[in-house]
Amino acid sequence: MHSSLVRVQNVFGFFTTVAFTVAAVIALSTFIHPQSPSASVQLRNVQIVRGRPHYYSYKKEEYAHIKFDLDTDLNSLFNWNTKQVFLYLKAIYPSTKAGQPASEAIIWDAILASDSAPWHQNHYNHPVPKSKSKPKSKKSAKDKKAESPYPPGEIHLTNQRPKYQITDITGKLQNRTDVVLELGWNVQPWVGALVWTNKKTYGAWEGLQGGVSSSFDFPEVGKKMKDLETEKGKEGHRLEVGGEHPVRKGGRA
Amino acid sequence: MADQLLDQVRDAVEGQIDFEGQRLAEMITTVLLGAAGILAFFVGFMAQDIKLSVYIGLAGTALTFVAVVPPWPVYNKNPEGWLSSHAAAGITIDVDGQKVG
Repeated sequence: MHSSLVRVQNVFGFFTTVAFTVAAVIALSTFIHPQSPSASVQLRNVQIVRGRPHYYSYKKEEYAHIKFDLDTDLNSLFNWNTKQVFLYLKAIYPSTKAGQPASEAIIWDAILASDSAPWHQNHYNHPVPKSKSKPKSKKSAKDKKAESPYPPGEIHLTNQRPKYQITDITGKLQNRTDVVLELGWNVQPWVGALVWTNKKTYGAWEGLQGGVSSSFDFPEVGKKMKDLETEKGKEGHRLEVGGEHPVRKGGRA
Repeated sequence: MADQLLDQVRDAVEGQIDFEGQRLAEMITTVLLGAAGILAFFVGFMAQDIKLSVYIGLAGTALTFVAVVPPWPVYNKNPEGWLSSHAAAGITIDVDGQKVG
């Protein structure tokens, strides 16, 4: 500590120790924050269509287009150390071969930002329910920060279209049985570990109540054929089927 | 003239302090940074606002740098009474039986 340079090094060295310790204590403090997430998922409609993985492909595959209702109360996942929650909805269906694990595919996801996170274009904006929307809402929709009608962990979607159409590695999806939709998430904290969905109760953290739909079967190809109504715009850019060739109403056979 | 100026600049940059001052500086570093860390956590936890924690921690660190790094007069209150070069003149130093001093 005899010269300025040594004192700078000394202070900075101890600062890193203090910063790391405080970060560790903050990460641990989230364990005493009670959590009681609950959710309900219901199937609305499912169709199987045949399509190509991309426009120039000769191979045809079967794609499942699953519409669903989703109601969640995940507000207790948002504590002072939560940056965002990545929420996803999986379709899970058993393998056709015995002894092989079930297949899981994500059909919809959303990044739920906490209030402490700065605005980002990829954050999920909850659609305003029609009963709640006011005539002035058109103006506010153009604002940079669209206001969600609910707190960050609350979602009420009815007849929601999937973001992703799913297919199987075999290319066959029709008439598959015992399909369920299951909700999952990652809690991404400001400091600390990434936390996945907990089904069981650990201390103050209760497991997820609900979050799994009742099982259903995939129909035959072409049954209940309607407009695909897959998410368009920036949410739909990762769409594979008909990416360069948008499907029109009543179009593709 | 230039040597004097260079000496002044060197002293200002080096910012040497005495032994008691070093002990004091060490103590102030530990106390200030530790207090800032504890305060940052508890204020942030009470307010449930993690940004508040970050800002309190950074402000405490900045304060510590200002308080400790410059050679404030507080750190030079107990200068060591070094022997002057004249006082050392009468001493002979032996290294391996040879007189060097």
